[in-house]
Amino acid sequence: MKRVFFCTLLFVFCVSMNSLAWAQDGWGNLTGQIVISGDVPVNQPEDVKDNPDKAVCLVDGKIPLDDGVVVNDKNQLRDVYVMMYTGRGADTPDTYHPSYDAQKEVKLTLDNVKCRFVPKASFARPGQTLILKNSDNVGHNCRIATMEHEHNVNIVKNAASEIVLGEESDKIPGEVKCDIHQWMDAIILIRDNPYVSISDKDGKFKIENIPAGDWKFQFWHKKGGYLKTIEVKGYEPDRRGTIEATIKAGETLDLGTLALPGEALTK
Amino acid sequence: MFRLFFNLIIITTALLGMAGCEKSEPPVFRFNSVEWVKQEKTHLGEGEHFPEEYKAEIGTIMTALFGTPDDPKFPFFLGDEDPAHDIISLENLKMAAGPTRVDKREAASGLYREHCAHCHGITGNGAGDTAASLEPYPRDFRLGKFKFKSTPLRSPPTDHDLTEILVNGIPGSAMPSFRTLPDDQIQSLVEYVKYLTMRGQFERFLLGELAVLDGEPLIDLSLVDKPDGEEPSEDDIEEFEDQMYTVIGEGLQERIIDRWLRPERKVTKIEAAPVEFDITHEGHSEFVQQGRELFFAKGNCMQCHGDTGIGDGQLNNFDDWTNDWIKSAEVDPDDPASYSDFSAVGALPPRPVKPRNLTRHYYRGGDHPDDLYLRLRNGIEGTPMPASTAMTSDEIWAVVAYVRAMPYQDSKKNRSVKPVNEKQVMR
Repeated sequence: MKRVFFCTLLFVFCVSMNSLAWAQDGWGNLTGQIVISGDVPVNQPEDVKDNPDKAVCLVDGKIPLDDGVVVNDKNQLRDVYVMMYTGRGADTPDTYHPSYDAQKEVKLTLDNVKCRFVPKASFARPGQTLILKNSDNVGHNCRIATMEHEHNVNIVKNAASEIVLGEESDKIPGEVKCDIHQWMDAIILIRDNPYVSISDKDGKFKIENIPAGDWKFQFWHKKGGYLKTIEVKGYEPDRRGTIEATIKAGETLDLGTLALPGEALTK
Repeated sequence: MFRLFFNLIIITTALLGMAGCEKSEPPVFRFNSVEWVKQEKTHLGEGEHFPEEYKAEIGTIMTALFGTPDDPKFPFFLGDEDPAHDIISLENLKMAAGPTRVDKREAASGLYREHCAHCHGITGNGAGDTAASLEPYPRDFRLGKFKFKSTPLRSPPTDHDLTEILVNGIPGSAMPSFRTLPDDQIQSLVEYVKYLTMRGQFERFLLGELAVLDGEPLIDLSLVDKPDGEEPSEDDIEEFEDQMYTVIGEGLQERIIDRWLRPERKVTKIEAAPVEFDITHEGHSEFVQQGRELFFAKGNCMQCHGDTGIGDGQLNNFDDWTNDWIKSAEVDPDDPASYSDFSAVGALPPRPVKPRNLTRHYYRGGDHPDDLYLRLRNGIEGTPMPASTAMTSDEIWAVVAYVRAMPYQDSKKNRSVKPVNEKQVMR
């Protein structure tokens, strides 16, 4: 046991030294494009039941389809979180590129449009202000529940409420729900580490100004959780859907096209 | 940090000592099997299960850190100087724990089992012997959520909040008042509830980790406890410390215990009520009327509480304690067959959460105007009741005035009278 004790001390010492000795030698980017291979899961109609607000929530007079899996005509997948891994055993940088400083000052808007959260997937930094907006002519509430954060805010029709997020950081995204229209759902990741990109309508993602070095990046989607079956050329994702990639100063690491088997999203 | 890690060594020793122990004598803390089943359904395929060994490992870790129902422990990692001594004293835990003493000459002990366990369960899982027949179900402490408190969502209640509940009971539920107990006994129960809560939160955290472990232990003691006295390698030690830090340092100390420290710093300030709030003030009835309009417009209260406030608005929501497991795939709260896996391990049949009937003047979280102000300002944790973030404090007070006036209005008249701002009513 004595030896363990000694090594514990050494460990603590090393950790504190690490943060002192860490020096920045340039920044790089990470990009790629995610496409579903095989069958794309079919989105079912939302479970609107006999909600009294049905009229407001219909889209073109029809019950909207769930927006759990959103692809374009080339099956390129939206709403995948590509993020520097900060979980168990992760190595993370101590400082971030100054370009991210301003991010915290921006007010992030989460709107309700025809009983749907817009955007579906978002990323916020701790301490950031969220504008919870309601463009509908019915009342909503906005219930944010992540591992570390919880808010349940009443947002009346055609109005907005502001909240300031707490200082805690999440490891994976959490949920946004409305209790009045229970089919409504969105996703939000709240954490300090800004190296996050959410794939756009063409499945593209880009994380900018990453410190040069070896970092783990994780792929996560609401319907699939950790995307451990995602195919990344030259890498082998582990069970948490992470790959370890080398970011070089002044360079962009392009992962190319990442194929995700459709079955990964059927949870 | 130094002291924290020093004490981790003690915990490690305790864990090593626990390995291979026989199961302790009853009563024991019950394993959170509902969470286990939920995690399996969330992360594994049909018919797949986590290795059973995890149950033993979690039991070992829990017992090493929190002891047993007869012999509670608390992980004071920093020894005598640990700030957690401000929120938990072992002496108080021992007064609440253990078997109920019948000998009146002895110091009190076993208070929890005497007063609480038959509803809340030995484990604080809300599944005592009487639980299934109560409406609402007794609280399961393990989610760490409390409805009636002076702090916002996700912030733990203060001791004062919990004391109020114990002293006043919860009108409209089976929770009685324990006003007759002396202060020191109330305090010991308050601390024991916090202890069961933190214990339950940590167990849930451990269960949440299983999905990413892929069969490896949460804390792999074999990394440092080699057969025939072999010295562990540097890599082994680093890996072990990493696991200890993730599970104990981060999972328990930072995510749970640290957040229970000094809850007073998070208490919501209650702004003074305007003079019209006083029922003898000449402007009071106008103020009540203003509250009535807010009830229907900016407050959107009638959405759940109904136009007449009898609680007949939206009736198909569930609370967080139920939503916690009924949101698992394939579960339909209306179809018992769909959740038989959960029933089999003790989950009670889901019941929708009822919006409060505001025409009866009992309020679960207390009937002082300040209590009602807090319910509106912060919302009610674990329920669909949202925070009225957009309302000014005067507007909140107006709604409080209206709500307090509701029971005294002619219910028939109330039913037929539309608010003056009918056109603004949402729907």
